[in-house]
Amino acid sequence: MGKYILKRVLQFIPVFLGVTLILFALQNIVPGDPIKLIGGEKALTPEVELQLRVKYHLVQVDDEGNAILDENGDPVPETLWNRYVFYMTGLLQGDLGSSYQRKLPVTDIFAAKYPYTAKLALCAIVLEAIMGIGAGIISAVKRYSFWDILVTLVTSVLVAVPAFWLGMLLQLFFGVQLHVLPISGAGGTASQYQDWVHYILPAVTLASVSTAYCARIMRSQLLDVMNQDYIRTAKAKGLSNRAIIWRHALKNALIPVVTYIGVDFGAMLSGAILTETVFNWPGIGYEMFRAISSRDWPIVMGGVTLVVLVVMVINLLVDVSYAFLDPRIRFDSSNKNA
Amino acid sequence: MADFKFHEPVMGRRAFVGGSLAASSLAFLAACGKKGGSSTAGSASGATSGAIVNYYINNPVCIDPYNVQEDQGTQVSFQLFDALTNFDYDKNEIVGLAAESWDASDDATEFTFHLRKGAKFHNGDAVDAEAFKRAWTRVVYPKSAVAMEYGPSEVSYHLSLVEGYDELAAGDTDEFAGLSCPDDLTFVVKLSAPYADFPFVASHPALAPVPAAAEDDAKNFYLAPIGNGPFQMDGKWEDGQEINLKKFDDYYGKNKAKVDGVHFTVQKDVETAWKEFQAGNLDICDVPVPQIDSAIKDRGESKDGYTMSDGQHTLLGGEPSVYYLVVNNTAAPFDNADVRRGVSMAINREAICKTLFKGTRTPADGIIPPGIDGYQEGAWEYSKYDVDAAKECLDKAGYPAGSDGSRGLKLTLSYNQDGGHKEIMESVIGDLEKVGLEVVSDTPEWSALLDQYQQLDYQFGRLGWIADYPIMDNFLYPLFHSDSLGGDNRSGYSNAEVDKGITEARATVDDQERLDKMHAVDKIIAADCPVIPLMFYSHVTAGSDRVKSFYLDPQKHAYLNRTELNA
Repeated sequence: MGKYILKRVLQFIPVFLGVTLILFALQNIVPGDPIKLIGGEKALTPEVELQLRVKYHLVQVDDEGNAILDENGDPVPETLWNRYVFYMTGLLQGDLGSSYQRKLPVTDIFAAKYPYTAKLALCAIVLEAIMGIGAGIISAVKRYSFWDILVTLVTSVLVAVPAFWLGMLLQLFFGVQLHVLPISGAGGTASQYQDWVHYILPAVTLASVSTAYCARIMRSQLLDVMNQDYIRTAKAKGLSNRAIIWRHALKNALIPVVTYIGVDFGAMLSGAILTETVFNWPGIGYEMFRAISSRDWPIVMGGVTLVVLVVMVINLLVDVSYAFLDPRIRFDSSNKNA
Repeated sequence: MADFKFHEPVMGRRAFVGGSLAASSLAFLAACGKKGGSSTAGSASGATSGAIVNYYINNPVCIDPYNVQEDQGTQVSFQLFDALTNFDYDKNEIVGLAAESWDASDDATEFTFHLRKGAKFHNGDAVDAEAFKRAWTRVVYPKSAVAMEYGPSEVSYHLSLVEGYDELAAGDTDEFAGLSCPDDLTFVVKLSAPYADFPFVASHPALAPVPAAAEDDAKNFYLAPIGNGPFQMDGKWEDGQEINLKKFDDYYGKNKAKVDGVHFTVQKDVETAWKEFQAGNLDICDVPVPQIDSAIKDRGESKDGYTMSDGQHTLLGGEPSVYYLVVNNTAAPFDNADVRRGVSMAINREAICKTLFKGTRTPADGIIPPGIDGYQEGAWEYSKYDVDAAKECLDKAGYPAGSDGSRGLKLTLSYNQDGGHKEIMESVIGDLEKVGLEVVSDTPEWSALLDQYQQLDYQFGRLGWIADYPIMDNFLYPLFHSDSLGGDNRSGYSNAEVDKGITEARATVDDQERLDKMHAVDKIIAADCPVIPLMFYSHVTAGSDRVKSFYLDPQKHAYLNRTELNA
């Protein structure tokens, strides 16, 4: 197991280099000059524009830090490769550069905002796991009962309802009409609620669609497993229904569900743009979205770097968890049947 | 506003029966989660946080004066800092703020500002002439401590007419040659060219004074600026969340803050902010356009459009900003003035304002919006809707209508589709098709579009212009002077007469005379019709019942120190 984990961690390196390199190359392909976008409708003066390009290493500079000009007096763009090397050097020293639009260091922005994304994702994923798995088990065990129909119905609706719309409805009902839950934000000095209360509606909204999927996967998997031979054997042995489900069926049925939840958790940890926008959540999803539309590459790069790392770690944890759920799965290279 | 039936979040049997199980349990959780164990819910009549004004803003770009630019950062900075001067819309004149008075030399190249005695920064430092010199230098000097940390100021152009600007901006020196401080309370500005309106420039929040801490501790100052205004920072700018201000007790001015503080709630979009407002958590909030009718009905409309009082909580006053079609004057077919005039008169501005903006924008009758000293109704003869005259102009331009009504002229309209521009442009295209013009849309990505405009590689497009200072010069010079070509003059318009007129007006010290000269220039431009003004912007701001008095000037500066709340 230790060897397997080490191998996987080492695999991070080429994946990480590949992703960042591709993303860096994309900067040159995607149209839009980020420096021009800073000014927008009000043009920047040429001097300021050049100073900004120098600051962000977009043009070649001489030893004294002045931009090198070509024969037409225009600055010479820095090569993609040099910029990549520069970026990676900074990255290894913990420096992700500064935002073009917001001027703040990218590390400061993410240090302030990532905890909000992570905490919200954690709340949502716990909610998703408990509600999704629970509802799936109930509807599989009590197949065709009232509860099964209810779960099927509710999950159908949740899958169909766009999350942001659900969020708005929740805001209107609990916030504007009933005055029992905060409408937006993550707390702060002016809020009349404790900070944790601010997590309820965004977490419910964020978890809604995936909870529905999760319940459906759980239901079909459990039904599938219940038809397996070894379950029939267990029944023939005279085991109680409860023991069959908890001890034998559930563990096997959970594997696809855990995969799904793991992937979903990774996605949530990458930020949820719609939920964050509707609830004015100070997370990274909206920050990334805004950065992409304004070609604020340092934030995009920093965000993707972070997300790639997080997703790789989550995937590793999910893969490792298989071994605990299904003893047949082994990661040793000696067992080719795994 | 809605009538709230369930005010009490405390759970009882009735609520359990009445609501769903999920709803009730969530509500129960929330009841536990209220601060201070209080079970009183916010009411529709306003927020419940003492004499603190809860104010909606978007995340600012910058609140440190050195790079204050858009309206959100300006709003915060305006509360923290007092610049030398301020435009008083009641008196319709520029008045002293941090400066008590000023003298201008006869040739309008030298301005001597006399500062108020005893003025202090929030940290106790004196507001002296050096503080202004320091502030203005760090706006221009690319190697100032703040510029090294956060990049050069993007608004250094404010000072481009001050002597020594070029050398300082190039980083060749750290001394701003045109500024001097003969004594603590005298600040002298020398310009490299006459500009009688300079006191208006000095009113911009970016040119407010800063204490030594701004450079010594640039990083902290950037997030929690120390100013000389009626409010001071309470904590630091919480990125994407909030900015808190508290009353500055040692404020030198006569308008000390009447409220205890301001809570700027940073929201991502106006829809969510509006829900917070409806729930009573915000006192001042922008109104989403679809809600404007109900807001006026519920909140009552302010008589003058800028002042809130009991029963008059919706502000719809005009702003000094204009939305216009930018036209490439250097290439066919728009190098022909008659084509520009014809296109301009074919557009039904009224319909766009009414249908798309519910009257929150007004049809433009020139490039100068109302609220700017020198606005004249109907200033631009071709900025009106007159289909017959439009057809005549197009006939004259050499594009007569054929038997099928088509003029055989195909135009390309280049614009960005986001931000609601698509609907406006579709309306424009519809109008132009009605007079027999064929219009195709070209919708590149925004920065590519800006580049096209700058390179004059387009036929016509759209832009907005927001005045930095409420003077005619701030429209005519950047948009039409040939010095602004390659910068904000994106129509390629160049007229020696206009250049001469503006330069002359700038050198004219007498206010009325200068205004007359500006009008003469505006008239020449109007006849050429180099751009096509479409709409003027207005406030769309609502206040809660807590707000007893509140004033938002046309430039969207909120006078929060004068604001009063109902007890």
